[in-house]
Amino acid sequence: MPKPSDLLQGTVDLLILRTLSREALHGWAISKRIQQLSGDVLSVQQGSLYPALHRLEQSGWIDSEWKDTELGRSAKFYALTPEGKQQLEKEVDSWKRLSSAVGLVLKKA
Amino acid sequence: MTPSRLFRVWRHRVRSVSDRDRLDAQLGQEILFHFEQLVHEKIAEGLALKDAQREARLALGNIPLLEDQCRDQRRIGWLHDLWQDVKYGVRTLRQNPGFALIAVCSLALGIGANSAILGALRTTLLAKIPFPDGDRLVLLRTYPEWNPALSNAASIPDYVAWKLQSRSFESMGASIADHSRDFGAEEDGRPAERIEGHGVAPSLFATLGVQPLLGRTFTEEEAEIDHPAPVMVLSHSLWQRRFGGDPGVLGKQVRLSGSNLTIVGVMPPDFHYPLEETEYWIPLGINRFQLQGSARYFEVLARLKPGVSVEQAQAEMDGIGAQLARDFPDRHKGWRIRVQTLRDVWYGWRKTPLATLEGAVALVLLIACANIAGLLLARGTARRPEIVMRMALGAGRGRVVRQMLTESVLLSLIGGALGTFVAWGALRAPLQMHPPLAGQRITDVVVDLPLLALLGLLSVVTGLIFGLGPAIACFQLDLAGPLKESTRSAGSPYRRNRLQSALVALQIASALVLLIGSGLLINSFVRLAGFDLNFDPTGLLTFEYRIPQQRYVHNVGVFQGAPYSAIDPSPTPAIQRVYEHLRAMRGPESVAGISLPPVNSLVLNSLGFSIEERPMPQSAEDRNAYRAVYFLITPNFFTTMKTRLLRGRDLNDFDTAAGSWVAIINETMARLFWPGEDPIGKRLMLEVVAGERPREIVGVVADIPTRRDRAEPQPVIYTSYLQQSPAYRGPIANMFGQMTFLLRTSGDPMSLVPEARSAVAEVDPDHAITRIQTMEQYWGGGMRDKRILAAVLGVFAFEATLLAAIGIYGVMAYSVAQRTREIGIRMALGASSHKILALIGGRAAILISLGVLLGLAGSLMLSRLIASQLWGIQPTDPATFTGVSLLLIAVALLACFVPARRAIRVDPTEALRSE
Repeated sequence: MPKPSDLLQGTVDLLILRTLSREALHGWAISKRIQQLSGDVLSVQQGSLYPALHRLEQSGWIDSEWKDTELGRSAKFYALTPEGKQQLEKEVDSWKRLSSAVGLVLKKA
Repeated sequence: MTPSRLFRVWRHRVRSVSDRDRLDAQLGQEILFHFEQLVHEKIAEGLALKDAQREARLALGNIPLLEDQCRDQRRIGWLHDLWQDVKYGVRTLRQNPGFALIAVCSLALGIGANSAILGALRTTLLAKIPFPDGDRLVLLRTYPEWNPALSNAASIPDYVAWKLQSRSFESMGASIADHSRDFGAEEDGRPAERIEGHGVAPSLFATLGVQPLLGRTFTEEEAEIDHPAPVMVLSHSLWQRRFGGDPGVLGKQVRLSGSNLTIVGVMPPDFHYPLEETEYWIPLGINRFQLQGSARYFEVLARLKPGVSVEQAQAEMDGIGAQLARDFPDRHKGWRIRVQTLRDVWYGWRKTPLATLEGAVALVLLIACANIAGLLLARGTARRPEIVMRMALGAGRGRVVRQMLTESVLLSLIGGALGTFVAWGALRAPLQMHPPLAGQRITDVVVDLPLLALLGLLSVVTGLIFGLGPAIACFQLDLAGPLKESTRSAGSPYRRNRLQSALVALQIASALVLLIGSGLLINSFVRLAGFDLNFDPTGLLTFEYRIPQQRYVHNVGVFQGAPYSAIDPSPTPAIQRVYEHLRAMRGPESVAGISLPPVNSLVLNSLGFSIEERPMPQSAEDRNAYRAVYFLITPNFFTTMKTRLLRGRDLNDFDTAAGSWVAIINETMARLFWPGEDPIGKRLMLEVVAGERPREIVGVVADIPTRRDRAEPQPVIYTSYLQQSPAYRGPIANMFGQMTFLLRTSGDPMSLVPEARSAVAEVDPDHAITRIQTMEQYWGGGMRDKRILAAVLGVFAFEATLLAAIGIYGVMAYSVAQRTREIGIRMALGASSHKILALIGGRAAILISLGVLLGLAGSLMLSRLIASQLWGIQPTDPATFTGVSLLLIAVALLACFVPARRAIRVDPTEALRSE
């Protein structure tokens, strides 16, 4: 299995917000989900995941709540706030612009 | 940012500070959960528990570091830094307790006093006029062209013309003090009582915009000329006191000073006009002669039309005044009209003393700031290695400056907190001030929220002001230099010294301004207190006995512009009976009476006179010089006052109406009118009135000051109360029916009051004695203001001098310490200690003289502001200026003494070896 590549600074926030857009998840589940959805290409290391979660929470984009997991263990679940949803849309837009721009450069150069 | 997000963000921030422990515990839990999931995953992949745990730990890396990184996301960096700065600041302050103590105390005094005075100024500016739309109320007063500082009320022709011709006002009303009236003793036991009231034009109530609580006010018909209706309106307090708040009081007839009046209305409890003590109102009783008169006794109040400014009204009144002067020159020529807001009259007087105080306390705060800034600068030098080290280690300049500012603001906040107590104490000063006539007392200054806010703001601003200089000095640091070299010769000491020197010169200058101000006040206070009164105020009881003037004063016309009255029936026998009864008292050593209080009387009667066998001067101005203050006295007056008789004799019981008429004059009158001559035996004629006879001067007495605020004595004529004509020309006809009695005792004067009261009641149960006070109270009452102001300024001046001394000591000590090496070299090369002293002293001399010159210049400009508070001394009094400057120079030199001695004791070998 190839080692999942490290992520660009800033894309972590985007991925976390996107992952949380369907349901509330705890940190472990977020990292697993990102890995899974990217077909094991992307992996968010704990060293950037948790600071990012705390930063997003302090910025008011996400909220947290202590809940029991299916296995009955208590964990900290994060969920998008209404402002977080808007922020996600903005970041998705700008990401699309960026990637299409990069794509254009790659195609034409 | 949306409000809900803002709220969320701030909730996190607050929690980050207040709920730190719980957040940290949760963070640990969160990471632990992740760790457990990792372990589970590894076990699922087939590892043993132990191996799984090891793998998981490896995968997670440095857990405390991860937790730290998470914690760093909490947005409380600035708070954390602040807390660190404060802790650090407290620590540095505690290392220099002496510095901290001086700084905090002077700041507490400066900030507290400033807040108090500014608070008092604020309430003065915001003070509400207690009438609807009170800011449209103006007083219309007159003043003579030759002295615009004077302020007179209006005459009836003024009032009538103004009311008829002006367009600026919605309505206009006039009032005049009614001569106090007496309720007689009632059968049900209520004692006789004297009350003060005013005659008012019916339109006055409408002008003020107030409605009575009960009944009505007056109709225009009730103020008919010559025949005012016998009706009255009661104040709320009088209604409560005398009538028990009986709602059936309307329509009741009361007997007041011998006339029957019907009560038609009661005013609401908060209505006081024109004076606080006005307790009843009657219709303005104008007589036919007053319509032509020029006596200016009527207070005219008007309400500006909406949208009309005071300036517009003033312009209109200027025109009306000029027209009146052209039409009726003998009445109005030389007089102008002044439109002044009621607010200004009531509260304006506070501005000058408050501004004086504010100037003083602002200077104290300025000195404190300069002082602390100087100390911080000096300390900054000592701390330079520390600061340079911190900057070299990566601290931003902003961060270092912020830390230094935190320290200074911390100092000033502690000072401000203590200053609350100072403010609380200092607020008592404005409450003690005596308003002039018609001014309102200050009663509404308290420590309230706005004042505390002001205090806090002042503290922070102060801290920033004195902290900024030293903090900016950090920017001028050469980073590389100080680390390499030793700290002593580093940086730019001269620039720093210049700033420090300027601060010291500023302190000396400000201290001198304060010292001169308080010196002038103290000087005039001492003059006033030690002023030869020419009478002995201790052991004298004074009170007034008065027969209502309605009983005996009959206005019969106007003669040469002044009211002419018949005095009939003469009140003299009644007064004589009271006097005889008082003389029969056992308590007092001697008893005498005088028509108006001999000192500090609110009204003084002056009279024109001529001298027998001396022609009157032709010009009106020179003729005006033939005027003197005029008093009626009983025998024994000068004995009772203990006033020296310089020549001739006192009045005695043989000076009766039937005997030859005599007069006693004061020293000033003798000097002015008979220079180098003996006035005894010369004869005077008082202003021509029917029945007046020439009076022979039989005595000359020392000057008794008529006014406490006037150092220059006026000429005074005293005559016997028994030798009076039955006619009088002048405004104060009521002086014939009143006496201020003086009772001298060796004991407590107030102990005579019950006996005196019953002695008078035996003769006249209907007229109680009033204005009972000792002569010391009479004379000293107004001295208190001067004493308080002088004392307050004195305290500030002392503080300022002390601070300036500390400042100059600091800068000299620092400069000596800095130049130790230089001094050592000079001494090693053979410089004498004189030379060294000259070197050090020269700098001190420059600083001190610069400061003193600045201070003198400032004082010359500022001392005029307290001119009105001075007595018998010029605001530029050379003696005070010189004396106080010398005092300050001496103190400053003393402060230089220790550093200078240290300089000449420098051991050259030691100094050279030290680097």
